[in-house]
Amino acid sequence: MDGVVQLQRQLVDYTASLFHEGFLDEQFNQLQQLQDENNPDFVVEVVSLFFEDSERLLNELAKALEQQSVDFKRIDAHVHQLKGSSSSIGAQRVQKACIAFRNYCDEQNTEGCLKCLQQVKHEYSLMKTKLETLFKLQRRVLAAGGSIPKPI
Amino acid sequence: MAEKADSSYSTSLEDSPTVNAPMGCPSRKVCDKFLGFFSSWRRNTPPTGRRIFHRDVEQDDFQYASTHCLSSYYSVFVVRLAIMVMLAILIGLLTILTWHFTRSYTKRSLDTLASGLRYELLQRPILRMWNILNSTSEITTAQVKLSEYVIRRYSKPATQAEQVELYEVMRDVTWALFASRKALNAITITYRNGFVQAFHRDYRSNSTFYIYSNLVNYSISGNEPYDVNKLSSHQKWNEQSIHGNLSAIWYREPLDPLTGEKKGKASQIPPDDLINIAGFSQVPDGVASWHVAVSKYTDSPLLSAALPVRDASNKSIVAVVGVTTALSSVGQLMRELVEVHGGHIYLTSQEGYLLATSTNAPLLRNSTTGPKLMMAVDSEDQIIQMGAQWLERVYGNKFPPGHIVHVENAKLGHQQYYIDSFFLNLKRLPIVGVIIIPRRYIMGKVDERAFKTLLILISASVCILVIGCVCILILTNGVSKEMKLRAELISHLDARRRAEASNNYKSQFLANMSHELRTPMAAVIGLLDILISDDCLTNEQYATVTQIRKCSTALLRLLNNILDLSKVESGKLVLEDTEFDLGRELEGLMDMFSVQCINHNVEAVLDLSDDMPKFVRGDSARVVQIFANLISNSIKFTTSGHIVLRGWCEIAFNETTKLPLDQKKARCALKTKLRQQGNHMKKTSKKENKVILWFEVDDTGCGIDPSKWESVFESFEQADPSTTRLHGGTGLGLCIVRTLVHKMGGEIKVVKKNGPGTLMRLYLLLSTTVDGAEQNCQVDFARHNVVTLLALYGSMGRVVMSQWLRKIGLPSLGVSEWNELTQVLQELFYSRRHDSAFEVQCSLNEPLKAEVLNIQDVRDPLFVIVVDIGLLDLSTNIWKEQLNFLDKFSGKATFAWMLNHDTSNAIKMELRRKGHILMVNKPLYKAKMIQILETVIKEQQKKSLNAVRAIAKDDDMHECLEIDSIQFDNASSEDSDMPEMGNSNALNAFLHGEKQKDGGRITCPSQYQTFKGSLVELTDLHSEENNLGREDTCQINLNLPDAKEETAMLMNKKQAPFSTVSESESSKHWEQHSESSCPKGKANSCSSKAVNERKALEGLRILLAEDTPVLQRVAAIMLEKMGATVTAVGDGLQAVDALNCLLNAKEGRRESLEQDGNKGSQTEIQDCLPYDLILMDCQMPKMDGYEATKAIRKSEAGTGFHIPIVALTAHAMSSDEAKCLEVGMDAYLTKPIDYKLMVSTILSLTKRTT
Repeated sequence: MDGVVQLQRQLVDYTASLFHEGFLDEQFNQLQQLQDENNPDFVVEVVSLFFEDSERLLNELAKALEQQSVDFKRIDAHVHQLKGSSSSIGAQRVQKACIAFRNYCDEQNTEGCLKCLQQVKHEYSLMKTKLETLFKLQRRVLAAGGSIPKPI
Repeated sequence: MAEKADSSYSTSLEDSPTVNAPMGCPSRKVCDKFLGFFSSWRRNTPPTGRRIFHRDVEQDDFQYASTHCLSSYYSVFVVRLAIMVMLAILIGLLTILTWHFTRSYTKRSLDTLASGLRYELLQRPILRMWNILNSTSEITTAQVKLSEYVIRRYSKPATQAEQVELYEVMRDVTWALFASRKALNAITITYRNGFVQAFHRDYRSNSTFYIYSNLVNYSISGNEPYDVNKLSSHQKWNEQSIHGNLSAIWYREPLDPLTGEKKGKASQIPPDDLINIAGFSQVPDGVASWHVAVSKYTDSPLLSAALPVRDASNKSIVAVVGVTTALSSVGQLMRELVEVHGGHIYLTSQEGYLLATSTNAPLLRNSTTGPKLMMAVDSEDQIIQMGAQWLERVYGNKFPPGHIVHVENAKLGHQQYYIDSFFLNLKRLPIVGVIIIPRRYIMGKVDERAFKTLLILISASVCILVIGCVCILILTNGVSKEMKLRAELISHLDARRRAEASNNYKSQFLANMSHELRTPMAAVIGLLDILISDDCLTNEQYATVTQIRKCSTALLRLLNNILDLSKVESGKLVLEDTEFDLGRELEGLMDMFSVQCINHNVEAVLDLSDDMPKFVRGDSARVVQIFANLISNSIKFTTSGHIVLRGWCEIAFNETTKLPLDQKKARCALKTKLRQQGNHMKKTSKKENKVILWFEVDDTGCGIDPSKWESVFESFEQADPSTTRLHGGTGLGLCIVRTLVHKMGGEIKVVKKNGPGTLMRLYLLLSTTVDGAEQNCQVDFARHNVVTLLALYGSMGRVVMSQWLRKIGLPSLGVSEWNELTQVLQELFYSRRHDSAFEVQCSLNEPLKAEVLNIQDVRDPLFVIVVDIGLLDLSTNIWKEQLNFLDKFSGKATFAWMLNHDTSNAIKMELRRKGHILMVNKPLYKAKMIQILETVIKEQQKKSLNAVRAIAKDDDMHECLEIDSIQFDNASSEDSDMPEMGNSNALNAFLHGEKQKDGGRITCPSQYQTFKGSLVELTDLHSEENNLGREDTCQINLNLPDAKEETAMLMNKKQAPFSTVSESESSKHWEQHSESSCPKGKANSCSSKAVNERKALEGLRILLAEDTPVLQRVAAIMLEKMGATVTAVGDGLQAVDALNCLLNAKEGRRESLEQDGNKGSQTEIQDCLPYDLILMDCQMPKMDGYEATKAIRKSEAGTGFHIPIVALTAHAMSSDEAKCLEVGMDAYLTKPIDYKLMVSTILSLTKRTT
């Protein structure tokens, strides 16, 4: 039982640290609140949707930026989408990176866009690892028979 | 401040009119300039003191006012100054004119007089002089004639004796003449032979002498011998004596002046002592000559005349006669003349020698050669000398012709003199007379008077001026004060107008802002509700949020009050005109307030007369608001006793009822008011059946001081401000009441009542429907022989009820406590059973006993016993025994129980178990009583028909009635106490949301009030439900418990009017609900809230157009969790397609949709639409949100449908919002989606369309 409690505390701490470091925001809490008996894996489902979507978008972006004549409008739409979805799951840092990206898009600055793409990619991968860790922790807690503490 | 300075400045100027007046126009100009400067300076720097008072007044206004004031003060000042100057000029002119005329006329007349006087004065000495000259000349002439005569007689004297005789005769003749004239100084006769005879008067010694020369020397002539012979001829002809003929010897003989007798011896005198003797040289041409001579014997000059004596042939001169006259008499006269006037007169010869003066100064000058004449300028008299010198200086030798000079202001020394001179042109002796009179003696008094007059005039005018100025000052001060006041008044009026305008603006602003103010408040409350229902709150948070909820509610209430008021004030309040059941509304109101009353230990009684129309047209919400305000006000101030709401009716135009006096008066006012409303109004009122409904709200509270009876209806006015702390409140309630009452054509006032408390009386003018009167018909209970025993705790309600029962012909008994009840019961039943002679227990009081006896007379009675649950001893378990006791009578009588709102379920269950199925909530009023009676009667009838199923049937029936009686106040807490079922709490919690969770039973009625009163309550589901079609809601609310109960009891009896409640979704919900509502306590209400919340979107079909999968998923889950059916599409095109295909298919779907229709919140139109709402992302591939919306709106055009479309966008700019609304979207949500905001938005949209 101690192990479970410890795991739970670890989970809580970890979640808190994610919030503190600005990876996640309130939106994530909302997401978690939406998870109930009807949709037990809702968060994971949504987040994995986000991962898929984001990776697709990042690829698109990378492709678009590689081309001779960069279609900024398209890039902008992609980034906008990415921003929307990241904000929906509460991935704050990705969202912020997207905002900077869009600014460069508006300026039609290829260099800046490339830099930002790297930035977004970086944030995204960071986010991904963090969230995966989080889910792993949650799974461990569940496996240990504990319940996932509700966000306050 | 400024005015003060100004006025003090002006008064300081005006206080010194003597300074001001002489300054005249230039000073005014200076003043003007100064004032101008002053004002301009002031305009630039307004005084700070003033600004403090008018801080909120605009600067321009202040300047306007200031310049306005200033100009008025300035004009006052100028007017004052002008009047003063005019006065000064007038008085000055008057003074000068008066003085001038007085003086000049006086002077002129005086001058005339003075010159006459002077002329006169001078004339007299001159006349005297003339006289003297004349007499001298006459004497001389006479002497000459006599001498001629004598000499002719003795011509050619032959002898000495003849000669002597001649001389003797001559001497006598001469003496006679000399003696006749006292003024003569001397007469001399000089003969040709040189003999001289002379008479001389010496005035100094007052002696007369005869002077003669001896004749010794005259021997050469033939006459000499005569001389020698004559003794008396001692005279000597000494013609040459003066010229050096010293040979003659002169004798002088003193004479008696009167008789001429010789007094002494003749003595020889030296020639020096001789007088002036005229000789032949003085008459060279034989004519008379005049000259002025001096003599050592007199002080004054002498006038001497010489005339020759001719012989008979008139050829030769034989002798010369000389006459000398002293001029001293002239001087004497002049002295006398000027003695009175103090002037000086002198006469001079043409050469300037003084002849006579009016002074005693010597006229002669002693020189070595004897006395000589003096020039006037050398006179020893100062005045004469100065006058002469002045004349000489002015005129020199060039005297004007005739030497006539009139000088009025000759300055001699220090005095002013009149100098006048006249010229007397005597032959050979022209004389100039000069008169010098000091001006003082003639004009002295005049000048003095003139000076005094001037002085007096000036001082008088100065006085008048001062007084005049003071008067003007006082007068104009009054005027200026008035002006000041008027200016102040004007400024006050202006300020008032401004204030009123701003107040009006405020009202308008508030009225316009009401929606804007209420909506966020409603949103806040709605969101708080959502938050409260959130099951993840800690206890502490929950408590805090609950507190916030309460505060917000209070704030909203206050806001609503203010907004109501301002709405009325700004004339924006439009009363609805719909038909409503007045009695039912008021009953609902009483139900609502009864909880509060019971908590306050106050009895709430509704006493409506039977003649009141059942249905009236009007604004039910406002009517209810009036009474809610009044009653809540009463409750606030009533700590014990009762609150009665009485109502009775009066037909407005064809009434026959007698009215109390004050009502009549009110009626009069009403009639006039109605008359004023004009023809149109009259026409309508004729068509409709207007009634005057009178109401009274009577409480036993602390009462209102009579002096405040009027003012309590003012805004923010409370009878006793100190109560605010105790009771709270804003003082707006009564004001709103009054404005509403006035709006409804009524009046309200506080009426004097007996005993403590307040009695508010009001009447409303409402129109009834045509069939209104017919609805009053009552079931005839009397024929059923129903006997009612009212065992009620509150005396007022009991009395009112028993009175009514008696009125409809039912006997009733009233008891107020348990013991009494038992006694009466035993009396009624046991005595009836055993014997009518059974003694009523002595503890029963007499009237009761009498009534009991009366009732015993009723044949085959049907007993209804209405028992207040409060009569039972609920604190202990005694109540069960009490119930058992009552059970004994259950066969003979029907019990109806009056329940409190807090009566526990255990008691209800127990009652139900005992078969007491008639249970109603307090308070008891007519409608409830009628229901009880009807139920009892029906039960009685059914009992006779079907005894077996009676209970269940009655139960149903009763419940229907029960609910029916309270169907309108579904928001009130009464509903939570519906006695029928165990889980009714939860049901009600569901029905009325989290309001009750607050434990806010006290606040509930007011909430009810608030929500009813406010027109726009978009986010609150339940108050929305209140605003739904009334019938629908009621029926739904009615049905729900039925359905609920039926499922719970597994009876599956679908007797309710709407059998379609068995629709799957709905019943599923009920089950879910009943499950969740099983637990008690907070968890129970919490979860029921949660259920309620989730249900928020229950049954809504939502089309979600969102391309981002993550978002799509999140939003779908959110919505589904709230009970909505979500259809998700990936882009705008799909959304449009989905909509269109469904629209096309709607005909086919109609049937199935109609099954859903009974949920009540859907209207016919919405039933036809495939979706209730579309959530539309703005940026989507293929077709974005804007385009999609446009397409949808386009397809909708002409169909009359309008699907609410909510934009979802990540752009948080207001321009985006504008764009969204432009293309036809209804609302706007930003990503990330806020769960609660989304709910409230969706709800507001879906409700708006219903």
